[in-house]
Amino acid sequence: MILSEADAQAITKKVLGLSQAESCVVSIRCGESRHVRYAQNMATTNGAPSSIEITVESHFGKQSGSATGTDLSDDALAALVSASENTAKLAPENPEFMPPLGPQKYATGTAFSASTQAATSDQLARAILPVLKQAQDKNVQASGFLEVGTTFSSFGSSKGLFVSNQSTNVLHTVTARTPDGTGAGWAGTTYQDFSKLDAAAMGTVATDKAVKSQKPIKLEPGKYTVILEPSAVSDLIGILVGEEFDQRAADEGRSFATKKGGGSLLGETVFGKNVTIYSDPNDPLVPGSIYSDDGQPAQRTVWIEDGVLKNLQCGRYWADKTKRAPVPSPTTLVMKGGTTTTEEMIKQTKRGLLITRFWYIREVDPQTVLLTGLTRDGVFLIEHGEIVKPVCNFRFNQSPVAMLNKVIAMGPALRAYGEESIGLPIAVPTLLVDDFALSSVSDAV
Amino acid sequence: MGGCACATLLPSTLFLGMRNAQAIEVADKLDLNGKLNLAGVALGVAKSGGASYADFRLCRYQTEYLEAREHRLEESATGISAGFAVRVLLDGTWGYASSPLATEDEVKLATQRALEVAKASQPLQLRKFVLEDVPVYQDRWDMPMKTDPFLIPVDDKIGKLLAINEAAMKAGADYATASFAFVREEKFFASSNGSRISQSRVRVMPETEVTVIDKATGKFASRAGLAAPRGSGYEYILGYDFIGEAAKAAEQAKEKLQAKSVVPGDYDLVLDPTHLWLTIHESVGHPTELDRALGWEANFAGTTFCTPDKLGKLQYGSKLMNIVADRSQEGGLSTVGYDDDGVRSVGTEFPIIQNGLFVNYQMAIGQAQLIGQKTSNGCAFADSWSSFPIQRMPNVSLQPNPKTCSLDDLISDVKRGIYIMGNGSWSIDQQRHNFQFGGQLFYEIKNGKLGRMLRDVAYQGSTVEFWNSMDGLGDQSTYFLGGAPNCGKGQPEQTAPVSHGAVPARFRQVTVLNTDRKEIA
Repeated sequence: MILSEADAQAITKKVLGLSQAESCVVSIRCGESRHVRYAQNMATTNGAPSSIEITVESHFGKQSGSATGTDLSDDALAALVSASENTAKLAPENPEFMPPLGPQKYATGTAFSASTQAATSDQLARAILPVLKQAQDKNVQASGFLEVGTTFSSFGSSKGLFVSNQSTNVLHTVTARTPDGTGAGWAGTTYQDFSKLDAAAMGTVATDKAVKSQKPIKLEPGKYTVILEPSAVSDLIGILVGEEFDQRAADEGRSFATKKGGGSLLGETVFGKNVTIYSDPNDPLVPGSIYSDDGQPAQRTVWIEDGVLKNLQCGRYWADKTKRAPVPSPTTLVMKGGTTTTEEMIKQTKRGLLITRFWYIREVDPQTVLLTGLTRDGVFLIEHGEIVKPVCNFRFNQSPVAMLNKVIAMGPALRAYGEESIGLPIAVPTLLVDDFALSSVSDAV
Repeated sequence: MGGCACATLLPSTLFLGMRNAQAIEVADKLDLNGKLNLAGVALGVAKSGGASYADFRLCRYQTEYLEAREHRLEESATGISAGFAVRVLLDGTWGYASSPLATEDEVKLATQRALEVAKASQPLQLRKFVLEDVPVYQDRWDMPMKTDPFLIPVDDKIGKLLAINEAAMKAGADYATASFAFVREEKFFASSNGSRISQSRVRVMPETEVTVIDKATGKFASRAGLAAPRGSGYEYILGYDFIGEAAKAAEQAKEKLQAKSVVPGDYDLVLDPTHLWLTIHESVGHPTELDRALGWEANFAGTTFCTPDKLGKLQYGSKLMNIVADRSQEGGLSTVGYDDDGVRSVGTEFPIIQNGLFVNYQMAIGQAQLIGQKTSNGCAFADSWSSFPIQRMPNVSLQPNPKTCSLDDLISDVKRGIYIMGNGSWSIDQQRHNFQFGGQLFYEIKNGKLGRMLRDVAYQGSTVEFWNSMDGLGDQSTYFLGGAPNCGKGQPEQTAPVSHGAVPARFRQVTVLNTDRKEIA
């Protein structure tokens, strides 16, 4: 179910009209998607789900409560308002309560594509058919997922704020495996515009990697020079900036960004000078939602500039308390790229590894953002400027903070998708990195 | 249908703290006849559209979430999520569609959409799906529970959370968080086979954490609570000593800051069940899922080393190792009468590992025949009204040692080892060989005695080697039911609640890392 802006505005107005609270906010999120899921060169579960969710948050003084529902009928909306007000009245006062925002200025959204919203299940199947045919021809087993979706969301307050955002997303990921179980390859990314999808080309990359990665050799764990493809980079950058860049945690002394003796590392050179990461709701490569937490406008925010820690996410209460401007959560992430191609990175590597993607990344130590996880679906040994052999997977134990001090070269930023990503539209370059810590070998293929 | 029961309690529910009583009443506008009618519409449209099989699931999830940080309530939220999904099998190809609008017209449209999706996907159907016959059930199943958490006054729950944090702060924590999440899941299932099944169950999910800071060194340490989520009423919350644990946790977090950093190397490990349940989940639960073995999760959750040729042959672990799957265990997050394929699941326990030997997979419908077996063993689950049921874990539990054996008995036979409690970070490869687990609390074992606290511990291992190194196991008196509310699998990704029973166990010569660094090679 996709609401129009006018429908959402009318529902918001209706809810605010029913509200007896001192202030109230109404957020709506709905979506429609279609997907084809395939494995072993055939379709498995294919669907067309539809969703809607409306949340009403009521405030009496510093008391707050919320109620969420999926029914837009008049009696259900009245019940939702009642539930949120009952919830608020029974809550103790929250000294950190911040009143809802009034009208704000927003960028014009650029994250919607009509071709994606119009995509049919027939079109999805037609896009996947060549991937499966190619896999059969090359005697590999292809498994993958193609999803097209449209999401509409809105945020309104009793103080006169109303904003909405409509976006589309196309996700295609494909894994190819050789029948002997010794080779696996992967390709995947997101698009805003369905007409740009070239699933067959992604199938070719995955198939090629699967065939070339057969019968890998085991290398000793240790520190390696690595070329990380965009999926792998997106996981590490997404976790670092999306989850660890928190001003309050830094100020409270429980973050990598805490300064010894107190305060945060804002303004200090924490990363290599070639590292710049920012968010921009109108980024041409990865546009995102035009609003963020509490309906705050999403704006261009530089998180790291030439290695200097420039901004950490900061909620409105903490910003007020520490006399800073709030920094809302990012709605998109971009790591500025360079001009080195992957082929050039390979050529300049005496001994190193090419890594396709990561899997099952978890934080081991929040103090250093030490992360562990595994390589997956294509690791190749590079010697004297050439890929020479496929290599068994590794477990890594590596902090992205330390890694971003050892970036030797970068490719151009590309839209990317990692299974461990935090769900934001993200664009990152392929990275050539020194001393990446691989701590044990995995037998998994 | 049981949802109506709440509406009948309406006059007193507001007093009792049921803040969304009106919303429940509105959501209860469909009685059993209304649901049967919608099911008839869906199954009729599916049949006339040529589907050889179809099912209709109408679900409602009532939720409550309360979170306190230090001395204040940070969030109080209540919710109802309701909707339906129709699944059709058209000439061996699946299609499904879902919607939050449970009206006849919308059910017709969604069923037509499911048929359209299946038809469009047929060119991709290299091999047609064939389903086994599933017995027909017309039944209702309700999880037994003493105290409905949604009928407990909200200020009681908030007061408890604030008291937990207060106890932690008094004991020296710099920061403390505590939260309760409650879910009531109500499902109505109707299939073209003729089954009509209504079910309800409740989950309670407490979480706590304390943090202490050493400003001089810039170091900090946290200690998360050891209480597991459960399929239970509020009696579980009432019966757990959260306040006592919070105070202890603050003391232990302070001790962690001063604890000795572990020297990496090979150690004997004694793993407490508050820790071991997760190792079981990752290294036994997931590898023995048949959809992974068939390659259906190859693009996301992964495949498994446990391929069908190993069934009945692989010595997965030592002879002490017995792992049983059930959907009947009291408190189990996977405990339910019927799975989401309509297969009876309660009271149908089966072994996965017997005396160390791998003997069974977990299966959903349409899978058993692919490994020469006859029927599903009731392991399908869909995480919401809008999801497609896929194979998910039942409760998968390590059985106690039939001989008397205490935790102290296990420790007494260790010369140089570590005792680990609670879950820290966890990670395992996509075929479930190589894993790494942290924990919440680590204690040195020297010459059979528990010693001082250690910090910065994680262990790595390979599944089969690790389970074959197990040479000690606690008895029934040491049994603990752990679990997770959010196990991820499938595309689009679904999160499933699952429990794992465990007893303390001893493993020999496991590789231990020191994690106090920015990289470990």
